[in-house]
Formats: sequence, C-alpha cells, structure tokens
Amino acid sequence: MSWNAGPWVVLPVVVVSSAAHATTYFSTEQAQQAIFPGQRLTAAFVTLSDSQAKAIEQASGIDVRNREVHAWKVEGGGWFVLDEVVGKHEFITYAVGIDASGAVSGLEIVDYRETYGYQVRDPAWRSQFVGKTAADPLKLSRDIRNVSGATLSCKHIADGVKRVLATYEVALK
Amino acid sequence: MKLRSSNHLRARPVAAVGLERMRPLLGTIVEIRARGAEPRLGSAVAAAFAAIEQVQRLMSFHDRRSDVSRINAAQAGTVLRIDALTHTVLRAAWAMSERSQGLFDATIADALVRHDFLPRPEAEHAQPVTFRDLELLARNRVRWHRKGWIDLGGIAKGFAVDRAIETLQAHGVVSALVNAGGDLRCFGAPEPVYLRSPGDPSVLVRLGVLADGAIATSAGYFSERESGGQRIGPLVDPRRAACVSWERSVSVIAGTCMIADALTKVVALAPDGAPARLELLEAQALILDREWLWICGRPRPSRFAGERIAA
Repeated sequence: MSWNAGPWVVLPVVVVSSAAHATTYFSTEQAQQAIFPGQRLTAAFVTLSDSQAKAIEQASGIDVRNREVHAWKVEGGGWFVLDEVVGKHEFITYAVGIDASGAVSGLEIVDYRETYGYQVRDPAWRSQFVGKTAADPLKLSRDIRNVSGATLSCKHIADGVKRVLATYEVALK
Repeated sequence: MKLRSSNHLRARPVAAVGLERMRPLLGTIVEIRARGAEPRLGSAVAAAFAAIEQVQRLMSFHDRRSDVSRINAAQAGTVLRIDALTHTVLRAAWAMSERSQGLFDATIADALVRHDFLPRPEAEHAQPVTFRDLELLARNRVRWHRKGWIDLGGIAKGFAVDRAIETLQAHGVVSALVNAGGDLRCFGAPEPVYLRSPGDPSVLVRLGVLADGAIATSAGYFSERESGGQRIGPLVDPRRAACVSWERSVSVIAGTCMIADALTKVVALAPDGAPARLELLEAQALILDREWLWICGRPRPSRFAGERIAA
C-alpha cells in the first residue's frame, strides 16, 4: 500500500455469490394517484411508426428501443407515461406526469431492480458457503439495498425523460 | 408557545407502517424508507424529498439560479447575500478546509471545469484561488477577495441527506433510511450496509450493520475516464490543482452524512493523516481495494448493533 498502514486494521474479502436489489415502489394505479391525485386516467397506448420513432430519436438524441408507448390521458389535461430504462446492471420502471402545457409535472420511480455479485469478509458468513458453486446459487435471506457505492448516475433516467417528452410531442400531443 | 403533541397523550397507539419511495435527485437516485404512524408517514416522506429538492435548488452547480451559481457569477469585492442553508454548508466546508490544511477545498471548481466534469460558468476568473479567497461574513453573506468558482458537490449531497433525516425525525417518524446514491444515513432500526468492490462495482461487500449513523463513499468506478493518456476522476487534489484517479473505494462513517461525505475526499487524498482527523471528528474510515478492506478509527459500539464494522 502507498501509505503508512500502521493504525489500520486489514481484513480480506472474497467473492461468494450473486444478489439483487428489487423493489416495487408503486403499482401503476398508485403512481397515477401520486402524480395526478383525484384525477381520472384513461389508457391510450400507442405503437410508434417508423417515422415517429425516427422523429423522436432526432428530437431527443436518444434511441427508441421500445415502440409501445404506455400512456394514459388525464381527464383534467395532461398525460401519464410509464417507461423503463435499462442500464448495465439495473432495470428501472418510472412514471412521468406531463401537464397540459407539455411540462413535466411529476416523476416517480415505480420499480427498481439491480443485480450484483456479492462478497463477504466475515469468517462465519464464509463458512456457510463452503462447497457452494456458481451453479448452486445461494438464496440470501434478505434483499440487498443499502449500497454505499460511488454515485450510480441518474443520467439514463434523465435521457429516458427526454425521450418521453419527445414522444409526447410526436405521438401524444 | 405552541405545544407539540406527544405519543403518550394518544388514546391508543397507532401501528407503525412502512413506506418506500425513490426519485432521481442530486444527479443520482435517492431512496427514502421510513416507518411510522400511518396518517402522517406520506407527508413526512414528501417533506423529506422536498428538503432534498431545496438543497439541490440552492447548491447545484448546474442551476443558474442557485446560490452556488450566484457566488460563481459574483465579482471580487461584491457582498452577496445567500440562503442560510447554503451559508451553513459553506461554514462546514470552510471548517473542514481548515481542519484538513486545505485538502478539502470547495474552490477547486476550475479544475473540474477544465477536465469537463462541470460546465464552464459564464463569469471567468483568471488565477487559481483557495477557500481563503472567499470570505464568509455574518448574516448569511459572502465576498470574494479574489474571484473564483466554488462547487459544493463534495459536501452538499451529505447535507441533503442530513436535512431529509432531520425532516423525517421532526415529523415523528420512528425509523428511517435515506440513501442518495451511496451517501446514506439511518436512525431507528439498524440497517445492513454494503460497498461496491472497486475491482467490479457490480460486486458488493457486506460491511456490517449501521445504527443511527451515516456513511459516504468516494470511488472512481462510475465517474473516471481517460484524459490525455491518464485516468482521472472528479476528485481534485488542491495541492496540485488537478483531478486525480484513485483505485480504491474510500468510505467514512460519521454522525452526520455531511461530515462523512466531506471526509471521504480528505481520506482519499491523504490516508496517512486520516487517523488523527478521524479521531477528532469521531469518524471511521474504510478503504476497499480488490481483495482487502482497511479500517481505521474507533468504531463506536453504541452506534452499531449486531456485527460491528471493525473485526
């Protein structure tokens, strides 16, 4: 190590298994009520044509991977759109509220899933996994969620919202 | 004087329920999980998110109306009034700068701008500055002696987490956790905490259980990139006024997330000086590389339940 490690305690870590964080924060109806409380929403799903998808990609600079637009029209004006973004290890479903003027009025993450490899350092933990292989995946007793890692960027969500707003202009408005 | 309602005055206890919400804020994804009495829990969590949004509005480098942008636009000699919250964070940042002999310095934004980690503000400044060039005045005012740019990215996220936690406590929430993309703090029920392995950030290491405390982590795995044949991250070494790369993941556990957040940068830049600084702030540092976890500073047993962080 590059520093005087005298006052530091050192512990080994080892690879053990895979794990996941999967949380559903809202049902679709709950998300609709969170963003448009007390409003009546009507499903108005749209399948984008080639030219619409191209127009959205040009306007937003973001690839359109899914032609199905899960949109609901809000009685008092505006739209509720359920969308998803897929990162390297994470899968996020989120809801965007668009008001009658076309501005974002609400944004809620509906479902978050992230998969991990998993390491432990505790000898007691290690001992229970002796003999386990990758083909014999462990069932962890609880969901992993309190990760103090460096920042996982929300850029892909920001890109998704940009694409949803372009979709609104091209196919919903 | 207004009397606050207290639990023992209730006719019968209200069963605690849980609520979980996640939103993209502060350039990351913020999760709040809270347990408390049903009718007020929803408004408590909404108020906690509003507290985070307020910190974002005041202290974002990107928002042109933020206090940080106003400070970055101000000329030398101009006295500028800012929000009390921004002034609180600046005072904490400046105290950390003094305590770390300048290793923590919020006026290094020019190095981050130079390396494209931040967009270039309109009001240019010529010479490099240090935290001593921005004077913090009484009554929430500041003044540049020599003009520079500040970025509170290294401390404001932790402060936002603290504000959210304080908001939840003020609303009578029994137990809660706020995690802003890795800067996290909890109270009430102890929570297991994991770190990403710097060798592969999709691999986790279980640290232990955290109770009534905060942890923040600085690591380059999501933010580093190549520049001029060198690997650099958004961590500035004020001694060289340059962005540096660090292979290990550096975490700090402390009483508040703001202190933990700011201390990660100091420990990353000078692990040798960490023991004394950690002792002073009652904090603990954890450095993780591909195979080893290095722990420094006294764990406070009262703050950890079950397994302790240090072996």
